[in-house]
Amino acid sequence: MARRMILACAASLLIYAVLFGTVLDRPLSLGSFRQQIDARLARGAAIEGPKLVILAGSNGPYSHRCETIEPLLGMPCVNAGVAVGIGLDYLFARWRPLLHPGDVVYLPLEEAQYTRTYAATSLGPDASIMFRHDWPTLGLLSPGRWLGAVFSFAPRAALMSLIETALVQAGFEDPRAAATGSTNAWGDHVGHTQAMGETNAARLATIVPWHETAASIASGDGTAMVRDFLRWAASHDVQVVGGLPAGFAEWPMPNATASAIGDVFTREGARFIDLGDRARYPRSAFFDTPDHLNEVAQIAHSRIVAAALAVVLASPGAARPAPVHPDPGEALARPEGVSGPVLTAVPERAASR
Amino acid sequence: MLFHSRAFIFAFLPVCLGGFYLLARLAGSVWALRWLVAASLFFYGWWDPRFIPLLIASVFANHLIARQIRAFRRAGSDSIAKRCFIAGIALDLGILGWFKYADFFLHTIAPSQPGLNLTLPLAISFFTFQQIMFLADAFRSPERDTDLLHCAAFITFFPHLIAGPIVRPADIIPQLRYSALASPHPINVTTGISIFLLGLGKKLVLADMFGGFADTGFDAAAHGAALTFFEAWYATSAYALQIYFDFSGYSDMAIGLARMMNIRFPLNFDSPYQAHDISAFWRRWHITLGAFLRDYVYIPLGGSRHGARRRIGNLVVTMLLCGLWHGAAWRFVLWGGLHGIFLTIHTRFRAGGLRLPAPLGQALMLFVVIVAWVPFRADSMASAWSMLRGMAGANGIELPTMIVGFWPPLAWIATPVPILPYLGDARTLSFPEVTACLVLGWTIVLVLPNVQLMSERWRNWALTSGFAFTTQALFFAPKVAPFLYFQF
Repeated sequence: MARRMILACAASLLIYAVLFGTVLDRPLSLGSFRQQIDARLARGAAIEGPKLVILAGSNGPYSHRCETIEPLLGMPCVNAGVAVGIGLDYLFARWRPLLHPGDVVYLPLEEAQYTRTYAATSLGPDASIMFRHDWPTLGLLSPGRWLGAVFSFAPRAALMSLIETALVQAGFEDPRAAATGSTNAWGDHVGHTQAMGETNAARLATIVPWHETAASIASGDGTAMVRDFLRWAASHDVQVVGGLPAGFAEWPMPNATASAIGDVFTREGARFIDLGDRARYPRSAFFDTPDHLNEVAQIAHSRIVAAALAVVLASPGAARPAPVHPDPGEALARPEGVSGPVLTAVPERAASR
Repeated sequence: MLFHSRAFIFAFLPVCLGGFYLLARLAGSVWALRWLVAASLFFYGWWDPRFIPLLIASVFANHLIARQIRAFRRAGSDSIAKRCFIAGIALDLGILGWFKYADFFLHTIAPSQPGLNLTLPLAISFFTFQQIMFLADAFRSPERDTDLLHCAAFITFFPHLIAGPIVRPADIIPQLRYSALASPHPINVTTGISIFLLGLGKKLVLADMFGGFADTGFDAAAHGAALTFFEAWYATSAYALQIYFDFSGYSDMAIGLARMMNIRFPLNFDSPYQAHDISAFWRRWHITLGAFLRDYVYIPLGGSRHGARRRIGNLVVTMLLCGLWHGAAWRFVLWGGLHGIFLTIHTRFRAGGLRLPAPLGQALMLFVVIVAWVPFRADSMASAWSMLRGMAGANGIELPTMIVGFWPPLAWIATPVPILPYLGDARTLSFPEVTACLVLGWTIVLVLPNVQLMSERWRNWALTSGFAFTTQALFFAPKVAPFLYFQF
């Protein structure tokens, strides 16, 4: 009797592993992530010579536009952020083989990325993607991540895989594109216009953003992953520049938190850009969440980021450089629909590179 | 300590079982029972050691009172024995009333008075009923003597201490006295582990999944959101599944744990949602509580012995007390009252010779039971009312655009919206996801046999389908909710 019970339990584990590892898939939800990640990696792999890679959560593609930054910096750019739930260690593992001396990685990570626990990361969508489709990358990560990947599937995942597969078979058209826009060749999210964002205005007006404390940033599991990546980058002549995501003007990130994020980078010898008030916008400049600027603000913010990056990249490196507060000079006209801080221009030297 | 915590499963349980069997072998069954009592007190105190003295004092006091009752009954002083019995019950109910209902009555009588804010001792509702049954057993059967050790083992036995089943002394104490109690029986250990694992799966995999759906809806209602038809019904039916899987899962775990120690507990859930009428539902839902209320409240009130009107009154009073036992709030009283009314209507129907076809009776039973869960789960009467309005369609009927697009005639009854904000994770695919989960859950409760009635083969099939998910939830679930019945 005991033997039969043990066999039943063992069979359960085996069936679970086989089903989720080789049969069941979620082509709409995880498939969308996978497609986005792979498309960005493909673009990164196709670029010869130094490139700029923006790595973050969804604030990367929504609030930054490589299409704008690339000509201003004169450097090919890939907007490689996807979503906060995608593990940093996974993203770094995928990008490391494509990063070469002279490349620049800009990390305007969301605060939650620094404090996300290993436990949460090990069960993120990337865990399911790796277990189903990408064992080589999984093999590069820690044993804890292997176990997390194997056991990242709850019953909801099984049911959703059946639903999503059926929907794909039935020619289901993902309504998200119509509601939020699409992705361009650089990996930027485009088409998330102010008009389209109107439907989210009421919700955005009531959102109270959560800010992490300096202590939680300093001790976060995500911070440890960033540090590991910074050390790897330093040893491979890849320049990493830290940054902050855009945020609500009237609910800014506390200075201590911003400083703690800056310290993560500067203590490892990397650069850090703190745009201060110029990265803070009125709620009307956001699309659907406090991390997503609408398209007009995205372009304006990208110009500011490009200007700041130009200053950083033009200045000589230092072992422990102080955070950079760029003041690029010439003011630009405020884009229509953005009533936020004064936007500044890119220095000519950067734009003409 | 929670049955579904890793500390319990991988530390407490092996040590407790090992010590129980080892001590029985080395020092005899008395020492094994002493070990069991000590382990149970440790288990109880893990949550809050401050209340261990209360539990111990309660055991001592009830044992002393029971001894006096027996002595007076044997001496022929039945009236003194009865007074002792009533005093014992008053003591038990007084302690329960003080800790659980003082603030409730205070706020009912004087709403402006500040509350006493007493911390409710864990499991007081359950062990109070155990003590009352122990006293009643002493009064009814004075010839059966029970020493302090067996009394303590009966009351504090950790598998039932926290949330039942509410077991009877006559069922358990003879088993505790059995000379071979602490000899390991492989078949009992294996069956116990199997039942425990299936209960664990019910709790971690199913109850917590449906709890997430229910919380989304009920929390939104508590914050003043106006839920639409499908959001309200999905949240409520998810709660109906959550509470069933949660509590029946707990009962299965308790039954499995006791079985590992050669103790057999009575059945507590007999697939209640498969019942064909509300009376049958109550014969299958929380069976040991129902039996307690029948034997210690309904029948002493007169039961059905004094005519139809009195019978209805007794039924409603019993159900109101049942509601109040679940929690010191008017919404629990309302829940009990609603069930009292349902039972009364059903009784009148049957007395009039009316019977619905079984599927229709079951559908009606499910409808009223699910509706009655609303005040039981809601944070307040206001949010219960808000949820009921949503279920009645007063806030509109909305469906995701993708669903209406799939079958356009739905637009006649439902307004298409991009997402339903209070359904599941409020994502594009949340509607089909929650629908599929609810279909799965209701299929399990309406079609499959319950764990206790499953053959060994069925249990092994159930383990094959669920053990991996249980392991996943035990080690990797981002959030594990406590048992719902802990709050009662």
